[in-house]
Amino acid sequence: MSELFVALTPANLLACFAGVVLGTIVGVLPGLGPAGAMALVLPLTIKLGPTAGLIMLAGIYYGSMYGGSTTSILVNVPGEAASVVTTIDGYRLARKGRAGAALAIAAIASFVAGTFSVVALQVAAPLVARAALAFGPAEYFAFALLGVVLLANLTGGSRVKSLAMVVTGLMLSTVGMDPLGGTVRFTFDVAGAQAGLSFIAVTAGLFGVAEVLATLGAPPSAGPVARVRFRELYPSREELRRSVPPMLRGTVLGFLIGLIPGPAATIASFVSYGVEKRVSRYRREIGTGAIEGVAGPEAANNAAAGGGMVPLLSLGLPFTPSTAVLLSGMLLMSVTPGPFLLRDHPHVFWGIIGSFYLGNVMLLRLNLPLVGIFARVAIIPLRYLMPGVLVLCAVAAYSDNNNAFDVWVMVGAGVMGYAMRGLGYDPAPLVLGLVLGPLLERSLLQALTIGRGDVRELWSSLPATVMLAAALLAFVAPGIAALVRWAGTRSARA
Amino acid sequence: MSERSRRDQWSAAGLIVLALGYLLAGRRYPLDTLATPGPGIFPLAAGLALIALAVWQLLAARRRLAPSISSETRDGATSRAPLIMIAVLVLYAATLPRLGFTSTSFVLVLVAARLMGLASWWRLVVLALGVTAVSRLIFGVWLGVPLP
Repeated sequence: MSELFVALTPANLLACFAGVVLGTIVGVLPGLGPAGAMALVLPLTIKLGPTAGLIMLAGIYYGSMYGGSTTSILVNVPGEAASVVTTIDGYRLARKGRAGAALAIAAIASFVAGTFSVVALQVAAPLVARAALAFGPAEYFAFALLGVVLLANLTGGSRVKSLAMVVTGLMLSTVGMDPLGGTVRFTFDVAGAQAGLSFIAVTAGLFGVAEVLATLGAPPSAGPVARVRFRELYPSREELRRSVPPMLRGTVLGFLIGLIPGPAATIASFVSYGVEKRVSRYRREIGTGAIEGVAGPEAANNAAAGGGMVPLLSLGLPFTPSTAVLLSGMLLMSVTPGPFLLRDHPHVFWGIIGSFYLGNVMLLRLNLPLVGIFARVAIIPLRYLMPGVLVLCAVAAYSDNNNAFDVWVMVGAGVMGYAMRGLGYDPAPLVLGLVLGPLLERSLLQALTIGRGDVRELWSSLPATVMLAAALLAFVAPGIAALVRWAGTRSARA
Repeated sequence: MSERSRRDQWSAAGLIVLALGYLLAGRRYPLDTLATPGPGIFPLAAGLALIALAVWQLLAARRRLAPSISSETRDGATSRAPLIMIAVLVLYAATLPRLGFTSTSFVLVLVAARLMGLASWWRLVVLALGVTAVSRLIFGVWLGVPLP
């Protein structure tokens, strides 16, 4: 536990500060999300060493959740998908002249939820890690499978398209050496492909290059920015009182949803908004500029960011693109997350947890007085920003293996990501398929070998059986629900 | 036929072609037995799963087809700028190892900013010089990334 104070060294403090500032800017800017931004700065963080580097990456991750609300409230343009719902009441509050109060409540809710989720993470991650020590290949296979099936259900778009993207990601993960025997596969004699497709190059392409191409195709427009003076940032006593219950509900809901695979922060904010519309004393006002519509969702999306760290740190399983980049960063820095992280790298584990506490305080201090400056970042013309993003993407891709082949991979992934946007495919499931592919393949083949070819080995233990049953249920449940709806409509017509 | 259904059908067909090509390329890797699984088992399963999902998507798109043949109007001509940018990126990847990071990145920023609508030439040059020099300084000099 004393390692918590590792975060207080000057280098780590600076890394945390740089991370949260960058994260806030990324959150403010529509388009380039935290996963893309984290992939772009990976070369820089690797040079900082494991603890400072990962603290900076984590800072970008949760800093973006704070920043996303600023433009939602002031410009009616959500910086992040997780802040979309904040525009509904946040922008209406701004038009009523309560922009400062809405921003302050958003920052306070983010702080409360962020701090709670770190405490919960601090308690839950070691417990889950200890339980995971008993996990064998069958359990890991079942858990990863459950994760990808749940993810496909929760991405919001077409389920079959999400599943197709997961499988495409799994296929891409088979390029290079196979994880058990070392056979080189699908490289077509290209030397640069032997180590597999660079995850950084694929992420930089899918999120960074594709964003630039999409901006070229249809430039986004931003509205006027509401001006906020520092003295206007104080919410009234009434606003503070009304914010407490939705903040607390959003915090608990958000953390629990963060544990589930999928775009947890976005889902958590929508669920919290829905809950407030049902249970709040002021539910009739929600949608017309009520403070509950800001406090609940903003608490929920920040708590979900903390919840998403539990499976990553304790099991080594990332279920969002951002935590997948964090995993990739950890592996590049020779830190393997999972049950042994706490034993093998206590400085890294507690350093990250400690930086969460510090980062939340920094974000609260930063976001309130500097809110006007951050809001102005959102209106910097993209023609000045996007060309730089392209160069950063190229540097990130190249520096992963100092290999020009990875720049080709980045370009290919960028074109693919652009086409996927046009065709309605979400890139997040593909990224997770690419990351989870080696683990799924290794655990499947190891389980089969242990069971001497008997597939029943895959559900030979209770946790594996429960997780496989849950995966099967998650796979068939939407189909059954659709069938029931169809039968209901038919009988109503008859 | 609605535009969305047509796109879904075409993309499903593309996924089937991708999966077939992948399965064809994966034939050379042995499957061995379930007790000692070879490197071909997982790719075989993934390829077959993608075909199944693509067929599912194809059928779902066909079910959604509107009875009338009237097609939706397209929202204007597609901008050529992304296509030009893709061509420039391909050129960038091809010339990066020979011409080096600085000159290729300078041209990349110049073209990208021009396509984005930056009209003033001196601003274009200053932006391209600035981005290239700062990237070189931070990544090449300060962080020691061996940029080409």
